[in-house]
Amino acid sequence: MKKYIFKRSIQSLITIWIVIFVVFMLLRLMPTSGYFTRDDYLTMTEEMRQAYLKSIGVLDPPLTQFKNFIVNIFNGDLGRSITVYPRLSITTILKEKIGYSAVFGFASIVISMGLGIPMGILMARYKGKIVDNLGTFYSVIVRAVPSLIYLFLFQVWVSKIFDLPMLFYKDRPESWILPAISMSLSSIAWYAIWLRRFMVDEANRDYIKFAQVKGLSESYVMRKHVLRNAFVPIAIGIPSDLLLIISGSLIIENLYSIPGMGGLLIDSIKQMDNNLVQVLVLIYSVLSVLGVFLGDLLIVFIDPRIRLTESED
Amino acid sequence: MKKSVSWLLIFTMILVTLAGCSNNESGGYEDVFYGTFSGEYKTINPYDLSSVTGYTIISNTIDGLVENDKYGMVVPSLAESWTKNEDDTVWTFKLRPDVYWVDSNGQKTEYKVTADDFVEGIRYISDPKNAAKNFRTISSVIKGISDYYYNLADIDEGIDIGMTREEVEKSFEETVGVKALDEYTLEYTLDTSTPYFLSYLVMELFYPVEKEFLNEVGEDFATSKETLLYNGGYYISTWERDKLIVLTKNDYYWDKENITVREINLQKVGDEITGLEMFQRGELTSCSVSAEQLKALDGTEWEKYVNLKEKNTVTFWFTMNYQSKNPEYKTFVNNLNFRKALLHGIDRVKISSLYEPNQPEFFIRNTITPEDTVFDPNGVDYTDYPNLKPYKENNPYDPELAKEYMNKAIEELCSEDGTINGVGRESVDMDRIAKFEVDGKLPVDIVLATTTDPVETKKALLIAEMLKQNLGEENVNVIVGYAATSFQDEVFSPMNFDLVDDSYSFKFADPSANLERLTTDGSLNEGGYTVEEFDKLVEEATAKSDLVERYTIFSEAEKYMLDNVIIIPYMTGGGSYYISKEVPFLTPKGQFGLTKYKMKGSKIQSDPVTVEQYEKLKAQHEEEIEKLFQEGN
Repeated sequence: MKKYIFKRSIQSLITIWIVIFVVFMLLRLMPTSGYFTRDDYLTMTEEMRQAYLKSIGVLDPPLTQFKNFIVNIFNGDLGRSITVYPRLSITTILKEKIGYSAVFGFASIVISMGLGIPMGILMARYKGKIVDNLGTFYSVIVRAVPSLIYLFLFQVWVSKIFDLPMLFYKDRPESWILPAISMSLSSIAWYAIWLRRFMVDEANRDYIKFAQVKGLSESYVMRKHVLRNAFVPIAIGIPSDLLLIISGSLIIENLYSIPGMGGLLIDSIKQMDNNLVQVLVLIYSVLSVLGVFLGDLLIVFIDPRIRLTESED
Repeated sequence: MKKSVSWLLIFTMILVTLAGCSNNESGGYEDVFYGTFSGEYKTINPYDLSSVTGYTIISNTIDGLVENDKYGMVVPSLAESWTKNEDDTVWTFKLRPDVYWVDSNGQKTEYKVTADDFVEGIRYISDPKNAAKNFRTISSVIKGISDYYYNLADIDEGIDIGMTREEVEKSFEETVGVKALDEYTLEYTLDTSTPYFLSYLVMELFYPVEKEFLNEVGEDFATSKETLLYNGGYYISTWERDKLIVLTKNDYYWDKENITVREINLQKVGDEITGLEMFQRGELTSCSVSAEQLKALDGTEWEKYVNLKEKNTVTFWFTMNYQSKNPEYKTFVNNLNFRKALLHGIDRVKISSLYEPNQPEFFIRNTITPEDTVFDPNGVDYTDYPNLKPYKENNPYDPELAKEYMNKAIEELCSEDGTINGVGRESVDMDRIAKFEVDGKLPVDIVLATTTDPVETKKALLIAEMLKQNLGEENVNVIVGYAATSFQDEVFSPMNFDLVDDSYSFKFADPSANLERLTTDGSLNEGGYTVEEFDKLVEEATAKSDLVERYTIFSEAEKYMLDNVIIIPYMTGGGSYYISKEVPFLTPKGQFGLTKYKMKGSKIQSDPVTVEQYEKLKAQHEEEIEKLFQEGN
């Protein structure tokens, strides 16, 4: 096991290194005109644009820039944003934004697992009955209709019916309810539908039939055999879901005006804010790689049959 | 349990609502302005602003030397009075004494606003390291500033100019034409005679900054409310990035009697629909209304509250590519009759109605310089000069005439069988915009470049249809080309277009603002034309300091451009719809710079302003301006 963890850590480090390097170099391949808006072309001379590029440090050789970036990261300096929030230090941006996204992301995971898993179990248990049909109907609607439509209707109508604020306010707890629920609407369906599927699959296995023939109670079989085995494929994604809560939700944050991380990566890529893109890519890739790694470890604990290395057989 | 919690929630909400209602009315008017912003405002660094939200924040928190009053007149702000020399090259300002900078708690700091602060502002923007993108607007105004900037830029690029950076920086006082004569006297020395210099001073680039404070905060300057100082009617009391900005009245403001709204509260709202919904629920003072929403409001109780924002100085014009890679078009565009056919063949009203369905005619503009913007000392609008008046007043759209000119052009350029003289079979490569074969025969292929933005696309298709109909389908064939990423990279820089339109802002109160940039070497000559006669006229005009003489020559130059249809101006910017409880025409009015975003003198009534009320106030306002002019102001 220790050996496995060591090997995976090395692999992860290499993966992260490659991701950062490739993204870094790709950003440098972009034409420098991306740093300017159409208006900048009308108001700045060629020399001024050159001076500007110099001042934001993109005229140095890419490898030198990469070296500086890595050295600075190890010194704890993430640098400053260039175009998205000119001259603002990236540490400040992250400090201001991560909290919002993390809180809502976490709340959404709790809500969607809290509702989605019981819903999936019920649907599997009463397969073909009204509960199952209602659940399936909900899941299909939520997954098939473009989310913007129902999220928007949800915001307008639910806030009107319950007299809740339309936007998020830090100091008004009642305004936290709608965004947290909206963020969970589709993941509830995700948990429910997949858990149902795995459970139904599992319930048709021979060993389950055998257990039933043995006379074990239905709820015992469901809990101890079906659920436990069906949960494995779900569990593998949980660590990365938890780690990546900080990435925020673009639509929800925009709709409820939550100043979180959603859309930050997209904005920074669109506006060619190299420094910000690099840092975000670094953070997200570390978290994703770590998430997958932890997911693999987690299922070993849930399902003892799974071995990560052959030698341990 | 659940029930009691929800009752508690409801109870607190009622309390909050009640608390919000009481205590915010003074003399029948509300004293908090609740507004929104949608996009990100990147920064509030006063010298690097690029969004309306940024302008609103800075104009209300920092004052410059002068500002506009509600009639658009330049009135003293931090400068109490000023004098200038005979040829308008040296301007001396006497500052208001004992104005202090305040911090983000609204507390007076130890720093006074002095002449040095204005010098420091200019020093800040003229250092390329600070990357003030709008710098060019004034780079040819203040004496020596351009040399200073480029010397520093050269040094940064490693070019040896025989001086170190420190030496150049030290030379600032001698080389750049801005000087603090004493604590409260400031002097600008300008490159050329600039009678309209005051219209520059409402720009953020001329705003003051406290040197000691700037040194203290260094690179963090203006990245948070604590790293900026305020001398305007408000200070930033709350700043949650991408969420909420609260501006609170500055008790130490020199003109605090006229700060009638106690607090300006701006919060981020992601989309227009939410904004309107919030307004209808009474949570906002003002919100914008899109053309689609306008249709939805038709016939509802809200219809009577929807007003149209005044047009602004931004002008849309068509640029034609005189060096097109498309030989058919190149042959035609260099023919005056064909250009006239375009001029008369484009229905401006129809294009404008994509933006303003109700009053499209109101937004037509056929001159390059905006109307109601530049006035001579006799109060005559520059666009009313005899050279331009006919253009201003007549909509050139006339399909009959267009056809006539088209036929004339064909007669001159084509042989009997419709072959375009001098053009053969050829393939045209405009990269991602268009690739096609021309056959050297009529119809003429015209590449109309546009973006993938839905409104822009609609507009391009409309224009394409118009040209086909009005110039004849047998005569022209319009190819619409789409730029998917950067319009500058794909269309303008490589000149991959035949016909394209864009909007251009007008930066200061002199026709040269646009005309000088439209010369053969100017930055707005994006069609690659050569207009020597125009260049000469512009050069002649810029040297004149007598305004009437100056404007007359400029109007001649502009007439030359319009007579020869070098570019085709067709529409103004502005004119979006909005609903607001703010009484119109009370706050500073201005065509340039920041002061038009000031909330000074604003009054917020409890009901939205109706169209009727708006019209009444507008008429009254115009009457007052008329009177002012007659009194000789």
